[in-house]
Amino acid sequence: MNRGLYRFALLVACATFFLIIAGALVTSHDAGLATNDWPLSNGQVFPKMVGNLFWEHGHRMVATTVGLLTIGLVVFLFAKEKRRWVRRLGLLALLGVIAQGLLGGLTVKLSLPLAVSAAHATLAQLFFCTTVSLAVFTSRSWMVSRPLLEERAGLPLRYICTAAAATIFLQLIIGATLRHSATWDKPLPTDLLLTHIGGAVAVTLLLGSATLLVLRRYRDEPLLTRPAMVALALLIVQLSLGLAAYVVRAASPNDPQPLNPMVGVTVAHVACGALVFATTIVLTLRVFKVLRPCEQALKFSAATQQG
Amino acid sequence: MSMKQTKVWLILMIALSLLGLASACSKAPEGTSDNNAPTTTGKAYTAKGNEGTITGTIAYNGAAPAPKKIDTSADPVCGQKSPNLATEDNVVTNGKLEYAFVYIKDGATADGTKVGDYTFTAPSDTVTLDQSGCHYKPHVMGAMVNQKLNITNSDPTQHNIHFTPKNNPDWNQSQPNGAPALTHSFARSEVLVPVKCNQHPWMKAYVGVLKHPFFAVSAEDGTFTIKGVPPGTYTVAAWHEGGANGTEKTMSVTVPASGSAKADFAFGEGATAAGAPGLEMMPAIEVPVIGHH
Ligand code: HEM
Ligand SMILES: [Cu+2]
Repeated sequence: MNRGLYRFALLVACATFFLIIAGALVTSHDAGLATNDWPLSNGQVFPKMVGNLFWEHGHRMVATTVGLLTIGLVVFLFAKEKRRWVRRLGLLALLGVIAQGLLGGLTVKLSLPLAVSAAHATLAQLFFCTTVSLAVFTSRSWMVSRPLLEERAGLPLRYICTAAAATIFLQLIIGATLRHSATWDKPLPTDLLLTHIGGAVAVTLLLGSATLLVLRRYRDEPLLTRPAMVALALLIVQLSLGLAAYVVRAASPNDPQPLNPMVGVTVAHVACGALVFATTIVLTLRVFKVLRPCEQALKFSAATQQG
Repeated sequence: MSMKQTKVWLILMIALSLLGLASACSKAPEGTSDNNAPTTTGKAYTAKGNEGTITGTIAYNGAAPAPKKIDTSADPVCGQKSPNLATEDNVVTNGKLEYAFVYIKDGATADGTKVGDYTFTAPSDTVTLDQSGCHYKPHVMGAMVNQKLNITNSDPTQHNIHFTPKNNPDWNQSQPNGAPALTHSFARSEVLVPVKCNQHPWMKAYVGVLKHPFFAVSAEDGTFTIKGVPPGTYTVAAWHEGGANGTEKTMSVTVPASGSAKADFAFGEGATAAGAPGLEMMPAIEVPVIGHH
């Protein structure tokens, strides 16, 4: 248990959240190609950051900072962390941030093809979720030994939470695809938009039932109720932001340029989406940590391992 | 404890990634259309001296949407040079529309040969797209297939010229202040190729690319002239930007030998001449090129 390590992991996670906002600002400002150069911007390390280059180059600088912080975290982990699997997770994060930088460069070099841009946005969420998990694994609450709670009967929470996290991840990918292929001057709603709204319904059902079940069954377990409450609140905010994003985007095709209300709402929707994902991951990890699988779940996993 | 957690975490991550991968794969990017080399079959066109002209006026009925003011504060240089930039999608003066792109879309010369069956060589002179005051001049222009397009930067700031065609490769190039002119050309016809600057997101222009030289852009008073048209009967199209693909109207005209034909178009309210609004941006004559990819 190392308090400094936890704090540093938390710092990396927060910096990554800021990086997601910086990246979303690039997309909303349509600034992804403000320079066709990479890794330098117009052959310079510090170009004059005017126009959209402010967003594009700013994002690169925040990303560089996060990359350096991640290297720092890995060094810290290898110095202080005894659990090999946590150290390995740190290495995975480092790999992730490197891949992310390369994907970012690739998408600039290829003039933002949908697949690469969407992959960059998706890997961003995975990297964020890895840094959040590292913070969870190095936290005090994770490491103190505590009695396990019995899963109450019924559908085991671990499955519901995992399904919720997986569905949110899918929803993030659909959202990224939507944002990077956006044609808001076509008749609305487009198929992709409908898919995303369908995904929102699925996420609401799964995450809604996961959090409500936690709040009902384990009301005295703050380790579970806290992330559950936060996730539920964020989900409601996220749904409203999604609706707002739709409204402002639909009204935007005749705008002379990306305007602040549209930029603000869409960036908030991306950022809140990352937070919903991260809290759901925290909740899921803690459910696995705190709850002992009930009979049913044991039987189920035994059956799947045999079959 | 630790082993179990690793496993759980890994399984979670693997499941998530697989799901992600599956969905990413099912959404393969579209729009990477054919790579066919442009076809250059057909007989070379030679002027016979009896060519005529097509002239006309583009009207705009009713009140046009007012130009919107552009906020250039993101780059101070822009505001200094052009403090009053506004959108140019509907430039209407006295009911006449500027920046409509008019071209021969189809038809045949008097001897029955389709325009599309001729080959025309691109002129050696270049056409110029200038960036001045964080604004493209002109806003709409035409060029022939393979004709050199000169891109100049007259501003003390950097621009980024980004052509986003559907039928030609994407092209994106930064041009710092003081940099020499860039040149570009298009190998396939396309009406029209959008141009934007990713540095100054309000900068927009269009280039109509055709295999033949029979095109024009309406002037401030709405008039246009297409010169050197061989006698024949043609479908003439007028295109005006707006929406995803712009609006195109067509009409049939007959150009007499050494004579002139008239093609007046109207956009705006109740202007339902030939052609439906929201028509697809089709490459003028190379029709078979798209449609299948
Ligand atoms: C749990 C629910 C939701 C989640 C987790 C979610 C997540 C996301 C994410 C992550 C993006 C952007 C991805 C990126 O750029 O990387 C996005 C885009 C978008 N979402 Fe959602 N979303 C949710 C619900 C909704 C709802 C209910 C609507 C609308 C009715 C909506 C409308 C949109 C729109 C319009 C965009 C594109 C914004 C743009 O073009 O800038 N979302 N979503
Ligand atoms: Cu520019």
